[in-house]
Amino acid sequence: MMFSRQRAALLLTCALMFPAQAQDKTPADPVWRASSRLGYGPTEALLADVTQQGGARAWALRQIEVAYRASTQPARMPAELTHFNLPLERIFEAFREEREARKAAKDQGQKKEAGLRGAANMENDRFSRDAAREAAAWRIAACSAPEFENPLLARMTEFWFNHLNVFIGKGAVRPFAGHYVVNAIRPNALGKFEDLLLASSRHPAMLFYLDQAQSVAEGSAGPLGRARGLNENYARELMELHTLGINGGYTQTDVHELARILSGWTVAPNHPSGFRFAERFHDSGEKRLLGVTFRNLGLAEGEEAIRMLARHPATARRIATRLATFFVSDQPGAALIDRLAHSFSASQGDIRVVLRSLIEAPEFWQADQTLFKTPLDFACSALAATGGAQGRRESVLALGFLANAGQAMHGWQTPDGYKTDAATWLAPEALTRRADFAIALGRQAAEPLFLNAFLSPATKSRIAREPAPLRPGLMLASPDFMHK
Amino acid sequence: MSTSFSRDRRQLLGTLAAVAGASLVPRAWAQSAAPLKDGRLILVFLRGAYDGLSAAVPYADADYARSRPNTAIPVPDGSAEAALRLDQTFALHPALAPLLPLWQSGVLGFIPAAGSPDATRSHFEAQIHWEIGMPGKSNAPSGWLNTLASIGAGGANAQLAIGVGEANPKILSGPAAVRLIPRGQAATREGVLGNDRARQALLDLYAGQDQMSRAFRQGADSRMMSAQELSAENMAADNGATGAEGLMLDAQHLGTLMRNDRRLRLGFLSAGGWDTHANQGAVTGLLAQNLGRLAQALTQLRRDFSEPGDLITIVSEFGRTAVENGTRGTDHGHGNALWLIGNRINGGRWHGQWSGLARANLNEGRDLPVHHDFRAVFAQVLRASFGVGERQLQDVFPGAKFDTRLSGLLKTV
Repeated sequence: MMFSRQRAALLLTCALMFPAQAQDKTPADPVWRASSRLGYGPTEALLADVTQQGGARAWALRQIEVAYRASTQPARMPAELTHFNLPLERIFEAFREEREARKAAKDQGQKKEAGLRGAANMENDRFSRDAAREAAAWRIAACSAPEFENPLLARMTEFWFNHLNVFIGKGAVRPFAGHYVVNAIRPNALGKFEDLLLASSRHPAMLFYLDQAQSVAEGSAGPLGRARGLNENYARELMELHTLGINGGYTQTDVHELARILSGWTVAPNHPSGFRFAERFHDSGEKRLLGVTFRNLGLAEGEEAIRMLARHPATARRIATRLATFFVSDQPGAALIDRLAHSFSASQGDIRVVLRSLIEAPEFWQADQTLFKTPLDFACSALAATGGAQGRRESVLALGFLANAGQAMHGWQTPDGYKTDAATWLAPEALTRRADFAIALGRQAAEPLFLNAFLSPATKSRIAREPAPLRPGLMLASPDFMHK
Repeated sequence: MSTSFSRDRRQLLGTLAAVAGASLVPRAWAQSAAPLKDGRLILVFLRGAYDGLSAAVPYADADYARSRPNTAIPVPDGSAEAALRLDQTFALHPALAPLLPLWQSGVLGFIPAAGSPDATRSHFEAQIHWEIGMPGKSNAPSGWLNTLASIGAGGANAQLAIGVGEANPKILSGPAAVRLIPRGQAATREGVLGNDRARQALLDLYAGQDQMSRAFRQGADSRMMSAQELSAENMAADNGATGAEGLMLDAQHLGTLMRNDRRLRLGFLSAGGWDTHANQGAVTGLLAQNLGRLAQALTQLRRDFSEPGDLITIVSEFGRTAVENGTRGTDHGHGNALWLIGNRINGGRWHGQWSGLARANLNEGRDLPVHHDFRAVFAQVLRASFGVGERQLQDVFPGAKFDTRLSGLLKTV
C-alpha cells in the first residue's frame, strides 16, 4: 500500500519533471492536460515554454501571474475589428441611429413590397451585425493564438463570460456583448469576484439582457418611457445563477426585495460607463434581503447587496463547484470543492488564490479525472494546433462549426450559460461534425508534427497511410484529440 | 465524386434500409393489447416558459383584462385583431389561427392549468424536472423519453427516439440509443463522410469498443442516412419554392425521418425565445411572432403525424404570472396550458380544472395553480395510446398518480 503510493507519487513527479521526454503520451499526459485545460491545447511555442519553465506544473502555476498581468493591459485588437470595442457612447449612438433607420425603413416599407422591406432591414442593422461578428472573431483569435492573448486569460474570460452569460440574439444586447467581454469580464477575470460581479451588473449588455435597465420602483414612470414597475429578472438570476445558486437559501420574497434594492439601476447612453443610478426611480423604502435590513442608501445600497451576495458561503460553494466542473471533471469530488470553496472564502473571492488551489490539487492532475472537449474547446484547440485563426477563413469556419454544433459564440439564450460536460456534448452525429471541421481546417494547414507526441501508436500509423492533405485534419479529428 | 464512392454509399444505405425494413416491432409494445400499438408521440418543448394565458386566452374572466393592461389579447369580436373564440371561457391568440381548424375538427385540445407540482421558478431546475420526469429531483441518469425508448425497445438495440435541434437534450439522454440531428439545413449534409477515403480513415480511427468510438460509428451511419433522406425530400419538395427555415424546417425534418423509419416512435423538438419579461406585446409583437411560427410548425407536424395513434404535445417548464409586470411583460409563474393534437384526443374542448384569475385562486396570489401534474397527463397518454403498463409507467414517472379528472382526455376506442 505504502509502496504503491510512493511509486505513484514518484511516477507523477517524473512525469511532471520530464514532460517533453515522457514516452507513450496519452491525454493523461500532464503537458496535454495543463495546456488543454488552462488554455486551448499545445502549440510548438507553448511546449517550448513548458520545457523552459521546468514542466507542466511549474508552467501552470506561473501562468496565473502571466495571465493576471495580461488582464491589466488593454486587449490586443486586430486592426480590422473597428466596431465592437468603441467607447460605449459611440456604440449607443450607432445603435440609436440604427434603430431610427430601421423604423424609418419600416414606415416607408409599409407601402412597398415585403421583400424590399426585408432588404432595408438587413442594411439597417449593419452596426449590430458587424459588432457581433467582430466580437466573435476576437474571441476566436484570443483562444487560438497564444502570442495574441494569454491562453489562461482567454480561458478565464470564457469561464466568467459563461457564468455571467448574455445573449447576442436579444436586440439591445447585440451591439454591447463584445464590449462586455473585453471591458467587464476580461479585466476582472483573475481579480476579485465581487469586482467582476459589479462590473457585470453595471454594463449595458447585462442591464439590457436581464431587463434591469427597465426595472423601476412600483408606481414610478420608468426611464425608458412607459415602464411602471419592478422587473424581477435580474434580481432572480443574480442570486440563482451568478451567486448563491438554486439551493442557496433565498426565497421569492428575497427576489422581490433585491429587485427593489436595485430599482433605478439603468443604462446611460451619454456616459462613458454606460451606467446610471436614477434616484427618482429607486424604491426608497426599507428592504430586507436574506435577513439583513437595507435602509435607503441609493446606489450604495445595491452595491452593498451585490457585495454581500458575492461574499456569501453559498456563493463560494457555487463558484468552487463550477470551477471544479470546468477544469477537473464532470463530477468533481466533494473534497476538491470544499478546498476551493475554502480558498474562495478565505481570500474574499480572490480568483488567483482559488486558481492556485485548483492547480495544486492532486485531482487536477489525476488521469481518472477526464474531460471531453466542448465544441468550443475543440474548435479553439484545433485552430491553435494549426497556427491559430490566421485570417477570416479560419474564423468563419470555426464560428460556423460552433453554431451548427449548438455552441454559437455569445449565442446561448438563457442566463445559465453553456453546459460543459460530456453528457451534453458527446453525441453520435455531433462527433462526425467535428470531423467535417477538422478536415476542412486541415486541408490548408501544415502538418502539426508536434501533436504526434500526444497521439497513440495506432492513431499515428493509421494516419500515416493517408495522403498529406488529409493528415492534419485526421490528427485533429482523431479520438486522441477529443479529450482535454 | 468517384463511382466507387456512389456505389459504396448506395450499399451502405441499402444495408441500413434493409435493417429498417426488417420490421423489428418493439416487443413490449407489440405484446400490449392496445389497438394503436404503432402510435407515435411528438413532444414540442417551449423553453423559457411560454405565456399560456396569451395562447388560451380566458377572455370571459374580468380579471384577465384587469391584470394585463398592456398585454391582454382583446375579447373576440370576429376580427383578426382580437382573440378567436373557442367557447364561453377561452379564446385563441389570433397568431394561432392556423390551429383553429384542428380545434373545429375535434383533434386539438388543451389542459389550461397543468405543470410540474414543484414550486421552483427557476427555468433550469424546472426543465430538469420535466425532462427526468421527477419534480423536485435535481438529476437522474436518464430522461423520461429515453426510459420510454428503452421500454419500447424491449432489449433490442433499435432506435425508437429522435431529437431534432439540441445537441443532447436531457429528456433523451440515457442508456437507450437515440438519434439526434442538428437544427436546420445542416441536417441535410453528409459532409466529410461523403468522401470515401476520409470516411474509411475515420471509421478505422474510431474502430474501438469504447463509448466514443461506438458513438462515432453510430453517428456516421445515422448521418449518412439522414442526409440522404432529407436532401432527397428537399429536392422533391422544392419546385422553386423558397425553403422553410427555423422550427418549421426542423418539423419537416422530423416528419420525413419518422416517416422513412417507422421504428422511430418518439420525436422531440424544442424552441426557445419564450421568456417574455419585457415588451411581450399582445395581438402583435414579440410573443405573437413566436406563436405564429409555432402555429406553422404545428400544422406541419399535424400533416406528418395524423395517423390514428399519433399524438403531438406542446409543453413548457412553467407558466408566467397572471398579472403583467412593470415592463409590459410577465415574470416566472407556475401552472400553464398544455396542448395536445391527435385523432385520439377528445378535442374541440379543454380538459381538467380551471379556477380563473381571481387573486384568491392564484398560486401564491400571482400565478395559475398546477391543477394537473404533467406526469398524470402523459401517463394517461402512454397508457391509452401506447399500451404502456402500470409497472413500466412507474419506471418512466416514478411516483406518478392517476388523475381521474383527466379521464375524458382521450377517446375510448
